[in-house]
Amino acid sequence: IFHGFYTEEKLVGNLASMSTSERIKEIQKMPENMKKKRDIRNKVLKEITKNSRHHRTQLSCSAQCLQGVVVPLRRLGNNLSEYCHQLHFFHKTLKVIGAEFGTSVLSYFIFLKWLLTLNIISFLINFSFITIPQFLAAEPNNLVFTGLELLTGAGYFQQTVLYYGFYTNATIRKAENGPSYNMQLAYIFTVGIYFVICFLILLFSMAKSFCRNFINPQTYSGNASKLLCTWDFNITNEKAVKLKQKNLSTQIKEELTEVNQEVLNFSVSERLLRVLIHLASWAASLGAAVAACAAVYFLSINNLKLFMEGQKNDLESQAAMLVLPVVVSLLNTFIPFFYSWLGHLERFQTPGQQIYVTITRNIILKISVVGILCYYWLSIVAAAESQCWETLVGQDLYRLLLVDFIFCLLGSFFGEFLYRIIGTAVCGSLGLPEFDIGRNVLDLIYAQTLTWIGILFSPLLPAIQMIAFSVVFFVKKVSLMLNCQPPRKVWRTAQMTTSFMFLLFFPSFLGVLAVIGITVWRLKPSEGCGPFRGLSSMYAAVSEWIKVLESYTASKWVVWIYHNLITSELFFFVLSTLVLIITYLYWQIIEGRKTMTKLLQKQILN
Amino acid sequence: MGNKQTIFTPEQLDAYQDCTFFTRKEILRLFYRYRDLAPQLVPLDYTAKPDVTLPYQLIGSMPELKDNPFRQRIAEVFSEDGDGNMTLDDFLDMFSVLSEMAPRDLKAYYAFKIYDFNNDDYICKSDLEKTVNKLTRNELTPEEVNLVCEKVIYEADADNDGKLSLEDFQHMIVRAPDFLSTFHIRI
Repeated sequence: IFHGFYTEEKLVGNLASMSTSERIKEIQKMPENMKKKRDIRNKVLKEITKNSRHHRTQLSCSAQCLQGVVVPLRRLGNNLSEYCHQLHFFHKTLKVIGAEFGTSVLSYFIFLKWLLTLNIISFLINFSFITIPQFLAAEPNNLVFTGLELLTGAGYFQQTVLYYGFYTNATIRKAENGPSYNMQLAYIFTVGIYFVICFLILLFSMAKSFCRNFINPQTYSGNASKLLCTWDFNITNEKAVKLKQKNLSTQIKEELTEVNQEVLNFSVSERLLRVLIHLASWAASLGAAVAACAAVYFLSINNLKLFMEGQKNDLESQAAMLVLPVVVSLLNTFIPFFYSWLGHLERFQTPGQQIYVTITRNIILKISVVGILCYYWLSIVAAAESQCWETLVGQDLYRLLLVDFIFCLLGSFFGEFLYRIIGTAVCGSLGLPEFDIGRNVLDLIYAQTLTWIGILFSPLLPAIQMIAFSVVFFVKKVSLMLNCQPPRKVWRTAQMTTSFMFLLFFPSFLGVLAVIGITVWRLKPSEGCGPFRGLSSMYAAVSEWIKVLESYTASKWVVWIYHNLITSELFFFVLSTLVLIITYLYWQIIEGRKTMTKLLQKQILN
Repeated sequence: MGNKQTIFTPEQLDAYQDCTFFTRKEILRLFYRYRDLAPQLVPLDYTAKPDVTLPYQLIGSMPELKDNPFRQRIAEVFSEDGDGNMTLDDFLDMFSVLSEMAPRDLKAYYAFKIYDFNNDDYICKSDLEKTVNKLTRNELTPEEVNLVCEKVIYEADADNDGKLSLEDFQHMIVRAPDFLSTFHIRI
């Protein structure tokens, strides 16, 4: 008992010497019951007041004033975080979904909620800094509003804040000699800062996800962790619990009998046949992706020709504008079914392999379609002799997003509702459909990529996407509860969530950055519309502003930063070298720790 | 906002906030959930630190726990008397560890205690057998259960003493990244 008392004193002393937030974290982490934790906390607080009373006579005035500022700030921070916690919208919905379907399906809805929050932030940033000032300097809209605009995005909407073309390039001034608002700079800086914020948010989310879920692929074990660590405590619905128990017992029985099948040796000819089948299906899937790209390319060239030829606003030409988005959505919906069917044909060694390969093929398809569209927009539309090519691109994106949203809703209806009717009434052996997590998440990533591309050309796209995602959330939830059954196979939630976050960052966000970079640096903005009319490139607005600043002595530091840090290649070279060195050092540290773990394991065994 | 509640003193709420992963609002919400289980037993005024314990039957009937195969063990691990009868402190503790903000090591420690049916600080073969039976609703034959337990011990036991210690369990948890999201009850 005496020994215990001594260690407790040491613990209290340690805790008292930490900063407040660290101390609170340590107390929260202690594996003791509440009484013990409260005891220790009270002892630590007594110790702190004893120390501070002892030191108060020695504290200088400035330190006391600092304390007087820090404590209310901390309280403010606590209050703010409490308000943020209150913004737990969808909390009850997520609980109900998790209760019946488990963590894997829940991860899709959590991802959707995260994207919705990201779009709300995008909307707030872009709306407040770009659109609201534009409202003050708006030109009157002479076009007539027919209901068809909601579908095509053209017509009346062309002269509204929805598109780039409407924004003025002037400096908005409410009163003479009053505060002025330079629209050109505001547009480019808002978009730039928004992408920097997105980059940081994605980087931190991805890093947090990696940190929590990183698993050394060499040491993945089968049985033990599956048994003891994967019971889903989220599931609280009686039927779902029984189903999960049944699935687990089936899995265990299968694995016990599979022990004999592990030593299956294929003969040479069988192995060759399997390799050939794999190669053939990869060829088929890549061929399908290439065919889809070619179709999209030719359709879009045709689209542009149609648009340049006739400016008639009748029903036929409006319908012709919708052909491209509908074809793109059809390709995005049906080719994945083809891939799933190919996946069933090939006999993979584990079901996990099948899921990974199918998802990889879907990713390749979607990347190629988005890539072809970007190429079309940046090379062909930008060089065409149209009045306002940025607005054209914005309209294309609006139509693509809208049709994708409609197809998503239709997919839920046909994919899940009709499948259930057929599965239960007509063909009883099919049963209820399962919620296809991979395909749905890839659809979300695709929609978010298009939104990011569109922010430069149509600043209100995040608002539209906000509404779309909210509707999708409710429709998917209702469809899930009515039509689907809980998943039967194992879905490695943590790994998949990390991979999807990584996919959102790596091909999606960085690709968008590349597209935006090309647009801002290389392409010539249209002469007659938009905030950058008349300039040689959008970036020229910044360089011209720097030239103006050079004449003021007060802002010489801004000019210095611009010339020596942002436009200087030497700075970026040095920065990249530093980042590479730090990465290499961390990698070596990790390798060293891995070797240590192996050595220690050997020691324990012996 | 503001301190309009009269259930706890501000010091009590601060202590709860420091010792669990919940904010003030969540602590009050959890208090009302606790009280809803037995409104006649739980007073609305905790400033005098009343000694109120709710029996296991009430805790086990909560919608978040009533279908969980391990509900009895969870209540026993977090209760002060080890029988599943919980005070408000135990209740808050339980849901704090099972919330999504709790770190992996803390969850692993309590998960180990939950699966340790005989409370001897080791998960031995009989504990594993009970776990397997609860997980599969007694659908496996005794030979299959035996085989599974032997496989688990063979895979996870690093010091070869025939049972799993806390370190073995934590080592296993590191290789199961889903653990953080599955050992979680949303309330």
